[in-house]
Amino acid sequence: MAAAAAVTAAPPYGHVIGHEKWRDSALIQHIKGAGVKVVFEKELGVVDFLLPNRSSVLYVSECDIIAGNSYKRKLVRFRNANGSGVQALALAERTRLSEQYFSSLQKFVVFDLGLTLLPVSGQPEASQLISQMVLSEGRDNPFRKRSVARLYEPQLLLLLQQIPGVGGVKASALLHSFSSLQEICSARLPQLEPLVGQASAQHILSFLHNHLV
Amino acid sequence: TSTTVCILVDSRCISSSADLMSDLRQHHSVNVHVCSLDGSYFVLSNRTAAERHSQSELASMQNRKRLVERVNSLQGLFERVCFIVEKDRTKPGEVGRLFQRTRYFDSTLASLVHAGVRLLWSDGAQDSARLLADLAQLEQRKGQAIAVPLEVRGQHRQQALQFYLALPGVGYVHALHMCHNFISVAQFINSTIEAIQKGGVMSRSRAEEVYRCIRYSCDSFLLNTSTAKKKS
Repeated sequence: MAAAAAVTAAPPYGHVIGHEKWRDSALIQHIKGAGVKVVFEKELGVVDFLLPNRSSVLYVSECDIIAGNSYKRKLVRFRNANGSGVQALALAERTRLSEQYFSSLQKFVVFDLGLTLLPVSGQPEASQLISQMVLSEGRDNPFRKRSVARLYEPQLLLLLQQIPGVGGVKASALLHSFSSLQEICSARLPQLEPLVGQASAQHILSFLHNHLV
Repeated sequence: TSTTVCILVDSRCISSSADLMSDLRQHHSVNVHVCSLDGSYFVLSNRTAAERHSQSELASMQNRKRLVERVNSLQGLFERVCFIVEKDRTKPGEVGRLFQRTRYFDSTLASLVHAGVRLLWSDGAQDSARLLADLAQLEQRKGQAIAVPLEVRGQHRQQALQFYLALPGVGYVHALHMCHNFISVAQFINSTIEAIQKGGVMSRSRAEEVYRCIRYSCDSFLLNTSTAKKKS
């Protein structure tokens, strides 16, 4: 229970919560060197590190991978320890020795467990990656989808031009008079003809109403 | 063990991923269907797309703007976006240069992961083909396989397909479903959100956006500025 509580308590910005067992590791020395503060915690359970952005890290060493199956149990426990809303990351040492197992490791971690796998060559690389994850939290993420209130005018103008015989001028004329796509769709020939001409009005009506199936 | 899966491939991949495509066909018995997408990526299911990137592409600052555009555009069209990160190819005889993992590369990885992009690691084209086939099969087991007829016959249907593709958030697979599920374009335009969701085999939020666009009342001033912007 204590482990579960610790998992949900995310560290403050610029901090990492690390499992007590990592206290004297090279990884921690490098993270500190990069300006990230580390707090140690005994009750993290299977989790190795907690990052500020609701991410939780399990470190899979070269040794774990080569020694065989026990790391798989650890990974499953790691997945189960992280509730929804927590990003579970597995950092795995991809070295000359563990290389041959990497493909099956990836299959297990990503396809079977649905976790994120990030290969590192060893603790120094892992510390750089963890530091960047902590520090990038304060910056704007350009890859994150922003939902903005959209204005559809440009899109509707282009959409109408997909109708045969309708170019920019006619598309604009249609939207000026009918305002929405749905209203254009319910228009009849006498309403369309004065706007776009007889031939185009016919094209529009058959495009909208002729059966496709 | 499972039935043939289908993967849609953008026509640009014919030159960039020729070996990978033949590998998919020959060794993974995938039905590879070439079509014209809005970027060189692979569609693996109703909701998943994958794109290949080399490590050095992700590590290059000059590439940042393009990468952001790619991610934003794919996330606009798919619920799940995968990046297959490939080791850089070395020419025969060339000694493989060791990839220098920079802070910039790691910060890019961190941002991609936080934005929900799924990363897969590949040694090269063969490995990527296997990953694509595995992903498509996984999606099939989850009931998300592309199961719509891929051929769009006749001029009117082709035109309707292009029309559907011009809707916000509608990708190629949604548009194919719409071509086959709506009797006419008018029937689609007069549909409820539920009917759009069902007919386009898309998420609720996607169907809501399409619905909003159909009923959106244009502002004359904004129409004029959009037209003016296009002319200039």
